[in-house]
Amino acid sequence: MESQRIGDTSSTLSADHNMPYALLRGLNPPNNTSFMYHSTQNYSNQEPPAFDFGELEEAIVLQGVKMSNDDSVRSSLYGSGTNRPAATLEMFPSWPTRFPRGSSKSGGGKENSDSGSALNTTISSRSEANLEPESPISQAFEQQQQLQLPQQQFQEMASDSPRTGVSHTEPASKSNYEKRKAAGSTSDRVTDPKTLRRLAQNREAARKSRLRKKAYVQQLETSRIRLAQLEQELQRARSQGIFMGGGAAGSNISPGAAMFDMEYSRWLDDDQRLISELRTALQAHLVDGDLRVIVDGYVAHYDEFFRLKGVAAKSDVFHLISGIWTTPAERCFLWMGGFRPSELIKMLIAQLDPLTQQQVVGIYSLQQSSQQAEEALSQGLEQLQQSLIETIASGSVNDGMHQMAVALGKLANLEGFLRQADNLRQQTLHQLRRTLTIRQAARCFMVIGEYYGRLRALSSLWASRPRETMMADDNSCQTTTELQMIQAAQHHFSNM
Amino acid sequence: MQYQNTKASRRSSSSESLGRVARLASASAVVIFSLSTCCMCHAVKRLFCELGVSPTVYELDQDPNGQGMERALSKLLGNSSVVPVVYVGGELIGSIDRVMASHINGTLVPLLREAGALWL
Repeated sequence: MESQRIGDTSSTLSADHNMPYALLRGLNPPNNTSFMYHSTQNYSNQEPPAFDFGELEEAIVLQGVKMSNDDSVRSSLYGSGTNRPAATLEMFPSWPTRFPRGSSKSGGGKENSDSGSALNTTISSRSEANLEPESPISQAFEQQQQLQLPQQQFQEMASDSPRTGVSHTEPASKSNYEKRKAAGSTSDRVTDPKTLRRLAQNREAARKSRLRKKAYVQQLETSRIRLAQLEQELQRARSQGIFMGGGAAGSNISPGAAMFDMEYSRWLDDDQRLISELRTALQAHLVDGDLRVIVDGYVAHYDEFFRLKGVAAKSDVFHLISGIWTTPAERCFLWMGGFRPSELIKMLIAQLDPLTQQQVVGIYSLQQSSQQAEEALSQGLEQLQQSLIETIASGSVNDGMHQMAVALGKLANLEGFLRQADNLRQQTLHQLRRTLTIRQAARCFMVIGEYYGRLRALSSLWASRPRETMMADDNSCQTTTELQMIQAAQHHFSNM
Repeated sequence: MQYQNTKASRRSSSSESLGRVARLASASAVVIFSLSTCCMCHAVKRLFCELGVSPTVYELDQDPNGQGMERALSKLLGNSSVVPVVYVGGELIGSIDRVMASHINGTLVPLLREAGALWL
């Protein structure tokens, strides 16, 4: 009878689910084992095995669950399910779900038989109305070791076919008894080597999936922390921007300026990397040839920076000249949209010892030349400003548009001044490279990079300093001195 | 006929202007071709004054042949803004970026000394 039913099953199975068919085929122990291998191999090749098991579980459950009419919960859980006729339900022997008899079996067996029996009870509830479908199903879904249950079921089904067949036809109470009996027969199978191997494999699979889950959760945790850090940084940067631009910094940025800001931040990342490269190269005492490559790379890095500025100046010269793209501490010392070359040389002179006499002369004359050039450009810019003021202020009301056109023409010269200032900076760096030896040049550029890095760090420290000192009365002296210090620094540098 | 004449005259005037430029450039140690309204020219003038040089400045907007000379210079340099153009010792230095570069790399002052513009 059982074979007849199985025959029915095979006809109805067709191509819907390979798994059930395979299960069907796996009725004989050897086939079962091969199936087991196949599935575990699949599982180990794919991602979250738990997921696969869940799918498998669902497929198996769907096979028979559809048949239960009075189980609305189940149908809601599974949706449409399959349209399999009752014949396929015959595949699963009916076993008890919550009968204490099941506990006598081995631990793993108990679990599996529970989930298995859960399936089977739901599946066979077509004929029996008084089964408990919900808990077994939830149990089934929680089980990670899904694969084992069909296997075990088929093992037992194969051996208990007559009994299974009987259980389907008999009323509930009798079938429960049968299930108990069927469950009891499982204990005989536990010591079977193939079963043991399957159990071990399942355990292994479950362990692997647990590890994978753990790794995934850890990854999520670190991402969460990183996200919090980024949000903090963003908030700080935004508050800085609001502080400086009166709230307009974020909103009124032009596309050219936004593009430059983005490329500049990338340039800063490269800068950090190249500086650490210089540092390790110096510590490693590389040969001059290797060091030269790194030094020239750093000079090219700055050439690239000036090229970016040139491109940005064409679209938004005001953005560059305002220095809004720099950090506040750098902005303190801003000259024509960037650093002042003579200031940089002054800072370097102390750091570059030892120098030959010729080099000292060269560096000092470089400082003087850059100072003269800076002065000339500053004077030229001043004249531009003067002429602009005259154009905007003077003229009759009638000439309004004409005045604007003239003023626009004069404003266009700003780009030229910015370009000349950047040209001056670039030439200064190149001259430094020519005057110094390779090792000295490497040290020099490392010092430059570190110096600006510290300025930027100072800016962020300043931005994140505690502001409560502003409120307290007894701390007001401290605040005033801080402000005075900043103002003094600004005056000092603007007078240079 | 007229067209030819005009062309000929234009050609000759352009070569004339170029010749005039060359003549003026060799006449003094330091020659700057400038425009009175140009601020960059002002910067160049300031630089040479700082160096202790007194350059000969030709304001092309105030010169009757100014336009021709401007055109000649623009052909020579191909810059977006023609002026300022600097000659030292009859030799063309170029626009302001060339002047800056030569000053930073230390070649400008020796040239000035050679041309007799500096005695220190």
